[in-house]
Amino acid sequence: MQSGSRQEEEWKVLKRLLAATTLAYGLGLSVASAETISMWVRSGIGESFKEVVKAYNAAGEDKVELTEVPFSELVQKYATAIAGGQAPDALSLDLIYTPAFAAAGQLEDLSDWAKSLSYFNSLSPSHVRLGTYEDKIYGLPLSVETSIFAWNKDLYRKAGLDPEKAPKTWEEIAANAEKIRALGGDTYGFYFSGGGCGGCMIFTFTPLVWGAGADILSADSKTATLDTPQMRKAVDIYRDLVAKDTVPAGSASDNGVNFLSFTNGKIGQQSIGAFAIGTLVTQHPEIDFGVTLIPGVDGKPSSFAGGDNFVVTKGTPKLEAVKKFLEFTYSMEGQKIMAKYGSLPTRGDIADQVLDGLDPRLKVGIEAIAVAKTPYTLQFNDLINSSNGPWATFINAAIYGDDVDGAFSNAQAEMQSIIDAGQ
Amino acid sequence: MMMSGIASPSPRRRKRKRSGWRGVLYIAPAMALVTVFFVLPVLFTVWMSLHKWPLLGKPAWIGLGNYVRMVSDARFMTALGFTAYYTIIVTIAIFAVAFPLAIFVEKQRPLVSAYRTIIFLPVVVGLASASLLWVWLANVDSGLIAPLMQRLGLTNGRINLLADFDTAFLTIIVMVVWKIAGFTMIILLTGLQAIPAELTEAARIDGARRWQRFRYLTLPLMRRTMALALILSVTGSILAFDQFYIMTSGGPQNRMISVVYYIFNQSFVSFNLGYGAALSIALLAILVAISIFQLWLLKVGDERP
Repeated sequence: MQSGSRQEEEWKVLKRLLAATTLAYGLGLSVASAETISMWVRSGIGESFKEVVKAYNAAGEDKVELTEVPFSELVQKYATAIAGGQAPDALSLDLIYTPAFAAAGQLEDLSDWAKSLSYFNSLSPSHVRLGTYEDKIYGLPLSVETSIFAWNKDLYRKAGLDPEKAPKTWEEIAANAEKIRALGGDTYGFYFSGGGCGGCMIFTFTPLVWGAGADILSADSKTATLDTPQMRKAVDIYRDLVAKDTVPAGSASDNGVNFLSFTNGKIGQQSIGAFAIGTLVTQHPEIDFGVTLIPGVDGKPSSFAGGDNFVVTKGTPKLEAVKKFLEFTYSMEGQKIMAKYGSLPTRGDIADQVLDGLDPRLKVGIEAIAVAKTPYTLQFNDLINSSNGPWATFINAAIYGDDVDGAFSNAQAEMQSIIDAGQ
Repeated sequence: MMMSGIASPSPRRRKRKRSGWRGVLYIAPAMALVTVFFVLPVLFTVWMSLHKWPLLGKPAWIGLGNYVRMVSDARFMTALGFTAYYTIIVTIAIFAVAFPLAIFVEKQRPLVSAYRTIIFLPVVVGLASASLLWVWLANVDSGLIAPLMQRLGLTNGRINLLADFDTAFLTIIVMVVWKIAGFTMIILLTGLQAIPAELTEAARIDGARRWQRFRYLTLPLMRRTMALALILSVTGSILAFDQFYIMTSGGPQNRMISVVYYIFNQSFVSFNLGYGAALSIALLAILVAISIFQLWLLKVGDERP
């Protein structure tokens, strides 16, 4: 979900490699009948999709030409490309943006074809819901990520805790955090990006209130419902963790750059994304960690279903080739490649077979899908993701500020005014 | 400079007319550049500002709707207030540092060019790179300042400089002064060097003390230079964006949103390009007004220095 600067550097290198390979493919592709689909993918979603494209290009007749666009610029670039007639045939789009793009009339209606797929009903329900606008389907799941709770087993052992026992409530997590912090030095019990990273916090923090049956927006997303007893309780839990010095001071100004602090091995517990399981396993094999679902404030777990939707630019002449490629992605082979590189299976019906032989901790990510939610709003950027939006501001003010009541009333009012202005 | 003559008007006027055309020819390339890269974009921005112009989808004419909205936009007013506050503080800070430095490096003394170079070095660093550097310096866990202060016993534990408004604001002011003061120093230095040595000498012979020489000789003769430095500094500060975006992402609880930051957010986070354009036009008007006021205040238009 987040990409630090080092990751971005890696992307750049990969992008260049990728450009070179696509060029090589392009040159070898003078065979007339095959088509070349141009496709954009946002940076920061891992290797999985690129690997699928590689396999498809190596095997099939059609080719996919992939361009990677920084996730923060994707919307602008896509809008400009549409205006200039240079839009790609298809796009891997952060699923929360699908409603806004569909509402702007830029996407191809995929309803009939999607419903004809035999496995349509087992596709990730959150993705399909976000991909649906006014009863038509514009987006289908491409990659799935859920938020989960991870703990460092080594630090649990050092603190005298049972490393195999997953915490089930926030009381347990707080008690464990204190014991881990007692190890001293720069070892801390808990971490979150609390300095205006709306995206990080909607991903890891709202499951606390979702699990307890509350939400920050009403079902029709026309009313802000931030100020609930559940949210008050969740804020108190985090405030308490901060007050007991179990969270590093840098958290208060972390705008998401250090979201994966858990990977430094000095954080005892943190809510992270399922993609990070892949990152931890492949890049930080020294960290012995366990994962479980994020408990709600009353213990009932929940999760945020994130990831990308596959959308098609309205009026593309290569619709049939695009569909063929997506069918390959949904095939057992495609799903296996995706899972191997860290994306959870998008098809529930074959998830078990796909994950067979892979890291068992990925199964927790799959379990999370069943309890996961995703907010549906055309104003996600304004309300949630913007580091100056009401949600990001609320998080910092409520958890680190002195005036919790003020933080609640300000954020509630501002969210409502943004929603009203957008109607 | 025009030569003014009254003796024989007719041939002179013809000559002036011809040289007038030649003048137009000379400035034509510059005018073309200004037209293409400034006038036309501004006109297009004005045109955009009269529309509801989303990033995706079709623009719709709403007349002065964006400007009406601006008047009652509390967040825009907050951004204006913060920008004014920042501009005043940072301009005073820059001058307070740059003027003594300019006086220091003006006199010929050993190693003076080395001093000049060292003081000017940060100017060469881009503002974004400088901001990133200072983000690291101010980082509470892996940076320099907080652990250093803790080790020196100045603070009890490590303080996260960027988490609190006052300390974060102070960090940014120090960064900007470090980065910009060298540039202002060079401008002031040229002004200082333009003062003829004979004048200072004469004043000294007349018995003027150091402070009197500075107050009644140096300062008045520096007026144009100061006006230039002041306008550059004020304009630069009003257009500040990078440091707030990179160092604090708008500051603890949005308290560091400058006007340009707000325009950026409206245009590319909320995708209201039309409203962003209207805000840009308003900012342009404010900048022009402030520059005219400053020129008037320092009486730069006057012929006599």
